Amino acid sequence: MALGLITTGASGHAEEVSIGVYSGRHYNTDQKLYQQFTAKTGIQVKLLEAKDDSLIERLRQEGTNTAADVLVLVDAARLERASSLDLLQPARSAALLRSVPLNLRDSKGRWVGLTRRVRVVLVNPALVKAASIRTYGDLANPALKGKLCLRDRKSVYNQSLVASQMILRGDAQAQRWVKAMTANVSQPYFSSDIPLIRALASGQCGVGLVNTYYLARLLNGESGAADRALARKLQVVFPNPAHVNISGAGITRHAKNPQAALKLIEFLASPVGGKGYAEANHEYPLKGYGDDPILKGMGHFKADGLSAEQLGSRNRAAVKLMEANGWL
Amino acid sequence: MVLAVALVGLLALAPLAALALVASKADALAGLRLGSSGLGQLTNSLALVLGVGVVTGLLGTCNGWLTSRCQFPGRRWLRLAQLLPLATPSYLLAGTLIDLGSRSGQRIGGLGWAIGVLSLGTYSYVVLLSSEAFGRSGARQQEVCRSLGVGPWGSFFRVALPLALPAVAAGVALGAMEVINDFGAVQLLGVPTLSAGILERWQGDGDLPGAVALALVTLVLVALLLWSERQGRRHSRRWSGGQEGALPEPWPLRGWRCWLAQLVTLVPPLASLAIPLIWAGFSWEQLSVQAPGDLLALGLRTLALALGATGLTLTAALVLSIGKRLVKTPAIQGLADGAGLGYAIPGTVLALGFLFLGGSWGLAPLLLLVWGYIDRFLAVAKGGLDAALEGLAPSVDEAAQSLGCDWIGLVRRIQLPLLRGPLLVAGLLVFVDTVKELPLTFALRPFDFDTLAVRVYQYASDERLGAALVPALLILILGLLAAVALMPSLDQRPGSSSPCRSGSPPEGF
Repeated sequence: MALGLITTGASGHAEEVSIGVYSGRHYNTDQKLYQQFTAKTGIQVKLLEAKDDSLIERLRQEGTNTAADVLVLVDAARLERASSLDLLQPARSAALLRSVPLNLRDSKGRWVGLTRRVRVVLVNPALVKAASIRTYGDLANPALKGKLCLRDRKSVYNQSLVASQMILRGDAQAQRWVKAMTANVSQPYFSSDIPLIRALASGQCGVGLVNTYYLARLLNGESGAADRALARKLQVVFPNPAHVNISGAGITRHAKNPQAALKLIEFLASPVGGKGYAEANHEYPLKGYGDDPILKGMGHFKADGLSAEQLGSRNRAAVKLMEANGWL
Repeated sequence: MVLAVALVGLLALAPLAALALVASKADALAGLRLGSSGLGQLTNSLALVLGVGVVTGLLGTCNGWLTSRCQFPGRRWLRLAQLLPLATPSYLLAGTLIDLGSRSGQRIGGLGWAIGVLSLGTYSYVVLLSSEAFGRSGARQQEVCRSLGVGPWGSFFRVALPLALPAVAAGVALGAMEVINDFGAVQLLGVPTLSAGILERWQGDGDLPGAVALALVTLVLVALLLWSERQGRRHSRRWSGGQEGALPEPWPLRGWRCWLAQLVTLVPPLASLAIPLIWAGFSWEQLSVQAPGDLLALGLRTLALALGATGLTLTAALVLSIGKRLVKTPAIQGLADGAGLGYAIPGTVLALGFLFLGGSWGLAPLLLLVWGYIDRFLAVAKGGLDAALEGLAPSVDEAAQSLGCDWIGLVRRIQLPLLRGPLLVAGLLVFVDTVKELPLTFALRPFDFDTLAVRVYQYASDERLGAALVPALLILILGLLAAVALMPSLDQRPGSSSPCRSGSPPEGF
């Protein structure tokens, strides 16, 4: 009798369901989205943001004890590593099949992409003609010697870019490309994107590689009018085809509440949730260009169509190739 | 006593043992294979340790002496200010410097800048430990110096410095370990070090056992370095007799000497405060409004964690330091010395050790986190205590024992009162370090349990420095409050409450 009361009492309060989210994304705007999800479904979201690799290791060590139901990671290679360590379980969802394009999800359904970020070439037109660059390969042109600014190889965005070139052009050609490109680099290497953008605008170098959302933030005036003015001097070149990386999520292998976890992922991948996830950080949604006027102003691109799974599987080889060919 | 030391020591070494277990799965020579860029990383790390060691040793000793044994206008405030740089996270300092530089077309990075930033972040260890030692020991010897007509320089080099050398060495050693484990600042400044190599092997190559093996090899190198430093000093020991008369009047500085002293003690804290503030001045548009409730919760959580961790760390360090002095068996000596080594491992890697322990035992994240803090900062607390005990003549213990004191009485009536100053300093250091601790908190904390440092890092790593500044200032304020609370009691002499000395009011606050 008493037991019956307790169980009916518990099931009668749908809002008491809660899920744990381990997230490698550090955008405070994400939290607003989780609150929206709670308002919509009554499912509480407990959040732990940390570095992607630490989260993977934590999940691995916690095993069946884990309190995490959803794992959100930035970069295809990390998603791939999490699934190869059997930390994620496959999800069957018609909604996800509809909202996530084939090449942006795991073939076994263990994770799906949520946002896209594009690594573009940024040009200071006073120093380098934008028309002279059509592909990433053109950055190896000896005419750019001393004019190229790059981030170091610890940047996962650069690692993933090199992986994409290895798949598209073969290892040997990719190696020649990296070697010739690093010979063009104006030292020292940068450790973050925004100082690199400023260096481009102030003419210390003529051409560089950045993610679109960093430039978009500056153009949006998020770090002041001076930076906006600097950013406006620069020109975006989408190499053809362009390299696309993702942030994505999956349900953990030992999730206590996989149904609620799936609901969150479906929400984040849905046009409404995905829009919030992507727009707050000026990322591209899973399909199309979104409604962000700044991103729209940058123009259209042709994605290379590589799957995140492919990129992830070549990541380690890419890091080795970069290290061996002078990418600091 | 033996039991307590063994328990604390084993608890401190457990995560290292867990790491060793992981590393044992690596190839036989994984820890020694540095990879093609490994040699550069090794030289960078050594150059950093050397550079930072020299700068912090000189600057720290100089400022420790000036603020504790000299008299010039503003001395007490400047003494407090020496703690400011310690409370500024070095990754934040590096980040704001780079950002400021890139606004004015400068590219800030490289070994020189890294030495500067890390020295600024660690010289306070030397100041605090040495000034406490200058204030505590050798008062009588210094008096003799004076009566024999030896000037300030002579009494500094011939008496005070040799007596304070263990404290200076302890401070430099702490700085060196922090340089070895630092990852954030050196990465931002583009100096690839061993810790970068360790993380790359784990996160880039996916070779976790190899990464851990490399971390442990680094640890052994650090242990050797510390051991040889101690051996080198073994033959030049100087002891003071414990309870001494009130300190002689501090040296008054006038004219250009006074200006110089003010300048030297003012510039480092000013730099560590001014760089973020100048940055804020340039980027006030970026300073985002944050919910005060959220900041308050972050602040209180940080404070509670730091207070708890400080108390527990001090207890553990006391057990180890006193145990090491009382029990001379090699096993206990080794355990007590080895227990502080967790500080020389990159925090991210140490966190892994705790994840392995916690995962297999199903421990609560919060428990694991506090254990992690104790393990990491045991070295910070123990360094000062060991140095203080090292300077205390063994004859003090012997006298007590010959008068029938058992070890409990010896600890309670002799050693604890004499360790009061070093304990306060150690508590301050551990508190400030815990408040700004990042890698362990980041990896081990429970859900919805961010601290100020976590928030700072999240914004800064996302290249949103504007949002990071307010929580960073709160970290500074917490550190300063702790310093303000403790400084008055630091300026007092140990045992100054005893009636025979009540006639000589303590100099200071």
